[in-house]
Amino acid sequence: MTKAISFKSRMATLLRRFPFIPALGMLMLLFILNGIAEPNSMTVRALKGVASTYLALVFLSVGQTFVVYTADIDLSVGAILSLVNVSIVVIMSQFGGEPYVVLLALGAGIAIGALCGLMNGIVVSGLRMQAIVATFATSILISGIALWVLPVAGMPAPSLFWKVYGGRSYGIPNVFFFIAILIALLAIMAKTGLVTKLLAVGNGQLSAYQSGLSVTRIRIYGYIICGIFAALAAFCITGDTASGDPLVGGAMTLSSVAAVVLGGTALSGGIGSAFGSAIGAIIIGLISSLVFYAGVPSQWQNLAQGATILVVLMLGVLASKRINQ
Amino acid sequence: MSRLKLQQICKYYGATTALASGDLLLERGEIHVLIGANGSGKSTLCKVIAGSVRPDGGTFELNGKPVMLFGPQAAREMGICLFYQELSLANSLSIAQNINLYHLPTHAGGLIDDAELNKRAEHYISKFETVIGEGFTPDAPVAKLRPDQKQLVEIMKTLASEAEILIFDEPTSALDRSQVECFFSILRELKEEGRSIIFISHRMDEIFDIADRITVIRDGTTVSSRLIEETDHSTVIRDMIGEQPEAAALEASLAPQAEKKTESCLVAEGLSGAHIRNVGFSLAKGEILGLGGLHGQGQSTLLRTLFGAEKLQSGTLLLNGEAVHPTNPRAAIKNGFSYVSGDRVRDGVITGRSIMENVSPIHFLKDKTFLAFPSVLARIIEPALGALNTKYSSLGASISSLSGGNQQKVVIARWLTNPPDILLLDDPTKGIDLSAKSELFALVRKLADEGMAIILYSSEDGELLAHSDRILVFNNGSVSRELLGEDKTRFNLYEAAYSGAQ
Ligand SMILES: Nc1ncnc2c1ncn2[C@@H]1O[C@H](COP(=O)(O)OP(=O)(O)OP(=O)(O)O)[C@@H](O)[C@H]1O
Ligand SMILES: [Mg+2]
Repeated sequence: MTKAISFKSRMATLLRRFPFIPALGMLMLLFILNGIAEPNSMTVRALKGVASTYLALVFLSVGQTFVVYTADIDLSVGAILSLVNVSIVVIMSQFGGEPYVVLLALGAGIAIGALCGLMNGIVVSGLRMQAIVATFATSILISGIALWVLPVAGMPAPSLFWKVYGGRSYGIPNVFFFIAILIALLAIMAKTGLVTKLLAVGNGQLSAYQSGLSVTRIRIYGYIICGIFAALAAFCITGDTASGDPLVGGAMTLSSVAAVVLGGTALSGGIGSAFGSAIGAIIIGLISSLVFYAGVPSQWQNLAQGATILVVLMLGVLASKRINQ
Repeated sequence: MSRLKLQQICKYYGATTALASGDLLLERGEIHVLIGANGSGKSTLCKVIAGSVRPDGGTFELNGKPVMLFGPQAAREMGICLFYQELSLANSLSIAQNINLYHLPTHAGGLIDDAELNKRAEHYISKFETVIGEGFTPDAPVAKLRPDQKQLVEIMKTLASEAEILIFDEPTSALDRSQVECFFSILRELKEEGRSIIFISHRMDEIFDIADRITVIRDGTTVSSRLIEETDHSTVIRDMIGEQPEAAALEASLAPQAEKKTESCLVAEGLSGAHIRNVGFSLAKGEILGLGGLHGQGQSTLLRTLFGAEKLQSGTLLLNGEAVHPTNPRAAIKNGFSYVSGDRVRDGVITGRSIMENVSPIHFLKDKTFLAFPSVLARIIEPALGALNTKYSSLGASISSLSGGNQQKVVIARWLTNPPDILLLDDPTKGIDLSAKSELFALVRKLADEGMAIILYSSEDGELLAHSDRILVFNNGSVSRELLGEDKTRFNLYEAAYSGAQ
């Protein structure tokens, strides 16, 4: 009896430190199901395919997490991604595809992402508008700029760019290195004071203010980080599609929110982990590949995908509820 | 030179005056107690000092220099830290993170130094080592702690500021005796170090135990400030009440000395639940029984328990001689209970719907009518609203088109379509104006005269004294004193509410 209780409380402690544990379990399960449906999906080659397709969503969801920590939301991540995508493609094609130009374009991309984040932060936190509506508005604005930068999709990215993204080093696909770098980055970021403060703000703005934190500034930082990660996601998309498309990110915004929730972060703020969101993004990717491998007829694929996401969400909620009881 | 000097600080929220003229002189090395009735402005004054509320006027001097605070951060930089009555904790963060939130210790690289974080937290936790109870480790999340443990975390967080001016706004309300002792010994040490401490509590014995000076606030105004040697319990209570001739006269004139009503319809014995302990009383037909005491001492819980909205753990309840067990409001309504909450928005009004829909639900429940014809309903609803002098344009108008007082009348009218036997009033006049209040109480008295049994809880002591036949004073979930007849005075009410607090 006491053993069971202590086990439960140990699990609860574990879950609090690593809120993504249920998501990790779900990820394993989906991997296995994928392997059963199509053994070939377990090869390095197939895994690389999944990784390079969904790495952009991973970065986008990670960025979204830092905003959700403070109980805010950013509906403009997809638009930021599109803007950065077309901007770097245009810069690279204007100045040629030399390595230094590519680096310059990447720098410019990150600056654009950060600026968009700053704008969102000022609108939401400084001017105190509702995050959900304000970022919806800025998303339209940012999409407008993207369409102005590149009115039609299809401008190609220089070969250097997609060759690095799709290539291998020491026999290992480069995307795996990017994932490793991301994990290291997340481990470091989780230890910064800023993340603790973002979470404190998410727990209650009034309490955080009364504790002497600069709530407005902290929320703006959350949006800036989110913008920078959206820029990183744009680099991945550009590497994957090898072209510029002013509308590429639109559909990804809500997927990023779903991934954040799947990863165990509460939309009400104050609790969660960016690593969990990364797992959540991969779960979304695996679900679509599972639906594909399982041979679901194409007209039913959306339905099957949506239903699976619902089931996974529910399992995650049930698991954490049981442990936390 | 005083460390802190406040003069004529005022603060208004719309039409409410939270603070009219707050004065305070705080010296080095003293424990300065602030006391005053609920809503007298103590917390507002503290928040002004700690920078989280911007005053609308008055002078603020720190060490002889006038200062202007722009937020809690500025106050912290000047060595002022406040323990918030409602706590300022981040629930999902750990105890250690909460204690150190303002100054998170970092490594040279800017990352959080967990070892140092825990070490600093341990330093403050160890001061309370013997009284903290189970599960109080630096990495435990605050959300899982008991209320008294949360209060201890807020105390530690305040102490960790190491500020020169420490303000504690009701830090002991959830603590037990040993925890209070431990806290007080720490306060005395801080005093020896020369820190200045402001301390608020409603517990008279605690105050006389720790205070060097007692300042009394009444209705947003500082009325007296005396050294502990120069004052005593009754002086403090008298300062809190003040001279209120017209109120006293009102209480006397309205105090109904009705003939003894003997036919009791509700008898309770040993009721216990989440926030009430061993409550017993008997209620007669035609009687208005008042519940008094400080806020949140179990009065609302008792009413909600009787109504079946809160769980009754033990005790017996006899309704007209028959045992009943309130399990849910639906059953309670069928038994003849009714409940009106002052929290209209949460418990009463059906927002966005018409006045008719807001009045009719109890009628539907009790009459089990299958079809509703507006013309038939109107004949039932209009008299109920009329009895309360409710002002409305038409029955079809939205409830939100009415003023707060008229909305409350609609909520009460709901019960009058099919009159109940027992009316439970849970602070029913919260936020309604004076004329509406007097109309409401006139109606309540009329209902009582017609034989309804009424239990009234009001957070306004004057109302309670004026309109109830008998008052049970609550303390910590149980009845500490019953006031009737000659004893039903404001002085006795305060004395029972404050001195009996433990
Ligand atoms: N933010 C606010 N908005 C509107 N009214 C407020 C606000 N804060 C306080 N008040 C009002 O100001 C008055 C004083 O409140 P305050 O909290 O200072 O009282 P208090 O003396 O601390 O009471 P208690 O003993 O119940 O803690 C009350 O009438 C309260 O309703
Ligand atoms: Mg207060």
